[in-house]
Amino acid sequence: MDDKFDCIVVGGGIAGLSAAMTLARAGNRFLLVERGEFCGAKNVSGGVLWGSDLHTLVPDYWNHDDAGFERFVNHRRLTFMDDTAAFSVDFKNADFDVPPFNGVIVLRARFDQWLAEQVQGVIDSGPHPEDSLLATDILVEELLVDGGRVVGIRTGEEKFYADCVILAEGVNNLLTRQVGLQRDYVPSDHFAVGVKEVIGLDRQVLESRFQLAGRSGLTNEFVGFASGGVEGGGFLYTNRDSVSVGLVLAMKDLGEKHRKPYDLLNQFKSHPAVRDMISGGEVLEYSAHVVSTGDMRSMPRQLFKPGLMVAGEAANLLLNSGKAIQGMDYAMRSGILAARNAVRCSETGDYSENAMAQYQSDLEDSYVMKDLKSFQSAVTLFHSPAMYDKMPRILCDFGRSFFGIRNEETPKAVDMLKSSVKKHSSLWEMAKIGFKASRSL
Amino acid sequence: MPASQPLSISERLGKVSYRNQGRASARAHIVVDTNVCNKTCPHKRTTYVCPANCYTSDESGEVHFQFEDCIECGTCLYACDQGAVTWKYPDPEEGRGVNWALG
Repeated sequence: MDDKFDCIVVGGGIAGLSAAMTLARAGNRFLLVERGEFCGAKNVSGGVLWGSDLHTLVPDYWNHDDAGFERFVNHRRLTFMDDTAAFSVDFKNADFDVPPFNGVIVLRARFDQWLAEQVQGVIDSGPHPEDSLLATDILVEELLVDGGRVVGIRTGEEKFYADCVILAEGVNNLLTRQVGLQRDYVPSDHFAVGVKEVIGLDRQVLESRFQLAGRSGLTNEFVGFASGGVEGGGFLYTNRDSVSVGLVLAMKDLGEKHRKPYDLLNQFKSHPAVRDMISGGEVLEYSAHVVSTGDMRSMPRQLFKPGLMVAGEAANLLLNSGKAIQGMDYAMRSGILAARNAVRCSETGDYSENAMAQYQSDLEDSYVMKDLKSFQSAVTLFHSPAMYDKMPRILCDFGRSFFGIRNEETPKAVDMLKSSVKKHSSLWEMAKIGFKASRSL
Repeated sequence: MPASQPLSISERLGKVSYRNQGRASARAHIVVDTNVCNKTCPHKRTTYVCPANCYTSDESGEVHFQFEDCIECGTCLYACDQGAVTWKYPDPEEGRGVNWALG
């Protein structure tokens, strides 16, 4: 049985690498298979990795000379925009300067590659470095199933066997579909397409323009004009020497409105507030990817089978609760929990459906599934035209009156607000939104 | 390309590195039955939502597909509800597909 691994991990993204790191630390013999030329070569995110789980995976990673993240987040901004104005809620906090950070901005081709190096480091310093492997440039074409249990993978002509498989193949989860955990065709209703440009800026220009010090960074999300009337929103994140600027657009709405994602990206970049932030920059890369919306109706029916656990966005673990778009931290936590369960199973030798189900139950007990469940109504709310279209117009209209000084008799703010609401919506509609928001956020 | 200028999709795709660009021909990872698009599809949604403009519609409204510019985002896998799209990941050796520098 020498050629059989304790565990095979499919996918070298954040979920897969977090699983691999956990297995490596436990001394399990595993094979991680990544189809890209290197880990991260096929991966795209906005992207912020929120929270501090990275510290549990790679302790004190901020001390590494070339830690794979771009900047830590100490400054956040949510901007409502119409065609000329931008009305922002802005929060900067020196407490967020202290490790373990509140979140880190990443570029996945760099970050995932760095994380893979950390995993390799742990493998190399373990007792049996030759028994575990991170293999790139290999496509898993099929999961091998024997008597209802997943027993391995097939890559081209070759077959590899393991006691269990952790599937971390990403949102386009073909293997999850192969074993019947997800329908063969998944409709576009609860999916979005993200488009992004990474725009290079001179580091000094970037740091003075965005008031960054050392490795600190800004995250800015945008609603309204950003998505040009299509359900969705925009983002701008500061990297080390560049900014990531992009849109997340609901796929169904985009298709029905006959808009093209890259045309909307041009429009977003032409908004005065965005234009000023990217001026003098040079486009380095254009990228795009499908992204889950956090609507639980699109999740696989369950996240395990005998010998199999599904982690990360393959399980559609992603949430936009209005506070942040969380996906990579969910990938990390789910990868860790799946691997911990794999380690537990290797100790008992039990890989039955019940033993695998413990992973899902651990995930249900974690903040990942708790938040996903408790913020479902927020997901629905943010996908309503009142939120992504009317609300930004009202706020910008109000801002124009409130912040515009005219050497004339000035109405009270409450009357300005009422007049802006009536122009774009109704007091009744906004009262309903306010009520829903107070319950869903 | 200055960030302040609107970019065309071909200029944007010029910033993408693809696998196996040196190969004379690559094995297609997505196969589209454009007969379905042109004869029975009521919406032709892929021609709007594909962020790499792999699905195009010509002057007469005819849908065409090419996989060479595909950046493996997966959008058409969901957007096509007519069964016209067969979607696989590209073969690392013989296929096309992306190789992100930044991601």
